[in-house]
Amino acid sequence: METTAAITQSITHTEPRQGKLWRIAAIARNAFREAVRDRVLYNLVLFVLLLTGASIFIGELSGGQERKVIVDLGLSAMLLFGVFIAIFVGVGLVYKEIERRTIYAVFSKPVGRGEFLVGKYLGLCLTLLVNVLVMGVGVSLALLYVSGGWDPLIPTIWPAVLLIYMELMLLTAVALLFSSFSSPALSALLTFMVFIIGHFSADLKSLAVTLGSTSARYLITGLYYLLPNLANYSFITPAAHGRAPAAGFVFATALYALVYIAVILAAATLVFSRRNFK
Amino acid sequence: MALGLVVVIGMACAALLVRRLDTLRPPPDPNAIDESLYLDGKTARRMSLGFNGLAADWYWMRSLQYVGRKIINVDNVQIDSLARLNLKLLAPLLDTATTLDPEFLDPYEYAAIVLPSINVEEAIRITKNGIDANPNAWRLYQHLGYIYWQQQNYQAASETYGRGAQIAGAPPWMEAMKAKMAADGGSRSTAREIYTRMYEQSADDKVRDMARKRLLQLDSLDQRDAFRKLFAAYQTRMGKCPNSWKEIEPVFRALRVPVDASGAPLDPSGMPYVLRAGACEVDLDPKSEIPAK
Repeated sequence: METTAAITQSITHTEPRQGKLWRIAAIARNAFREAVRDRVLYNLVLFVLLLTGASIFIGELSGGQERKVIVDLGLSAMLLFGVFIAIFVGVGLVYKEIERRTIYAVFSKPVGRGEFLVGKYLGLCLTLLVNVLVMGVGVSLALLYVSGGWDPLIPTIWPAVLLIYMELMLLTAVALLFSSFSSPALSALLTFMVFIIGHFSADLKSLAVTLGSTSARYLITGLYYLLPNLANYSFITPAAHGRAPAAGFVFATALYALVYIAVILAAATLVFSRRNFK
Repeated sequence: MALGLVVVIGMACAALLVRRLDTLRPPPDPNAIDESLYLDGKTARRMSLGFNGLAADWYWMRSLQYVGRKIINVDNVQIDSLARLNLKLLAPLLDTATTLDPEFLDPYEYAAIVLPSINVEEAIRITKNGIDANPNAWRLYQHLGYIYWQQQNYQAASETYGRGAQIAGAPPWMEAMKAKMAADGGSRSTAREIYTRMYEQSADDKVRDMARKRLLQLDSLDQRDAFRKLFAAYQTRMGKCPNSWKEIEPVFRALRVPVDASGAPLDPSGMPYVLRAGACEVDLDPKSEIPAK
């Protein structure tokens, strides 16, 4: 109720002078405020930080590979728990508003359904950004501690962190798409399956090549291009070896993420626009 | 109050029950540690969903723990002579770790040092896979050359060192090692060079310790050869081999060879040698850290 009041107040004050972008920003700001109040979020971030701290001790078992273990474990925990946050907060973004009936109050104002979705999406992306930054700082501090000072791995992990963040943005958009027409449980399951299949995309491509049937080959190839190619965002292992992705590669993956997110949000808006809440 | 008592007494009872269960639990199956891995490297990599680096770390730590659990109860063991410990899972563990993360160089070094005494074909295969995945890592050629040298295949060792020497960043001694291996692969000076470079280059404490002990062993072999010459000279003069160190102690003192109170010369680790009385032969003390073989 507090969120809805805040949204409607912001929109009343901003409209009609500042327009669409201000409405989206108001919704995003409130989605961010709502997300950071969720205790589950704090617990997940804290757990990742604890894991990163524990990796210092786990590294003692690695025969001198403490730094590699810290980066592998820290960034892997960041990705995995980021996926959990993206899925479980993402599928609830729209569902909670519908369940509490607060969505009627929002749409009683001149707020488009697309603006609402985009605002919610951007709010969660901002939340994920803060979480990812906190976790990245945690990994950097662990490296500083183990190295007893500056560690050359620190600058190389941040491009990998950026790629992880882009992957989380993609998954959040997918979660939002599913939640626009499905129940939270099913949306979460479907999003998690997309995460898994997205990392198998290289295998999908090689499977298409080996199949005998033409129709099956077209189907698998179609799936390869339809589903998000998440393997491109996986740069944790090279980062642990001190390798950073090339600037051109980062730019291309960012562009892919931008295009794919635009497509998903447009599809979500299409579905959501046709939805009758009565 | 009552609920608080329930919590305290309940926890105390649970702790007592755990202690009792610990005594009743059947001992762990000693063969369980050697059960075959149910995932090969390629399958593990496919299933890792981008977490392959972390999975590689896991298999690497498992490899170290696997060897550590076997050698913990064995005295005076060298990590390059573990054939008697039945380490049949070590090759699959290292293979999986390197398949999951082919750029992870430490498992290749471990495979080159520890595996040859257990399964030399796997040691060569894993190291060669490492070279294919890391063509600019000259140290992998050093490891492969070491395996061939251990197998007394000096020609292959020489070629391997030669290929490694061509890689940008390879130190000049790789080229020198190529020549030395071709000319004199079986000599102690070559062995000394190999273990010296291993000691200098390795970041693994266990590998450095092994190299250090092998260097002490080489020094000890030189010392014992010198002692045999002294025994031969003694036998020529006295008509018999010495029965105790006291008989030959003045010679050691004149040559400034460090000796203990009984006149026994000290090996490079500081332990006294053992004289085989009347046999003109000298052995290492069983408590010496220098490997016997």
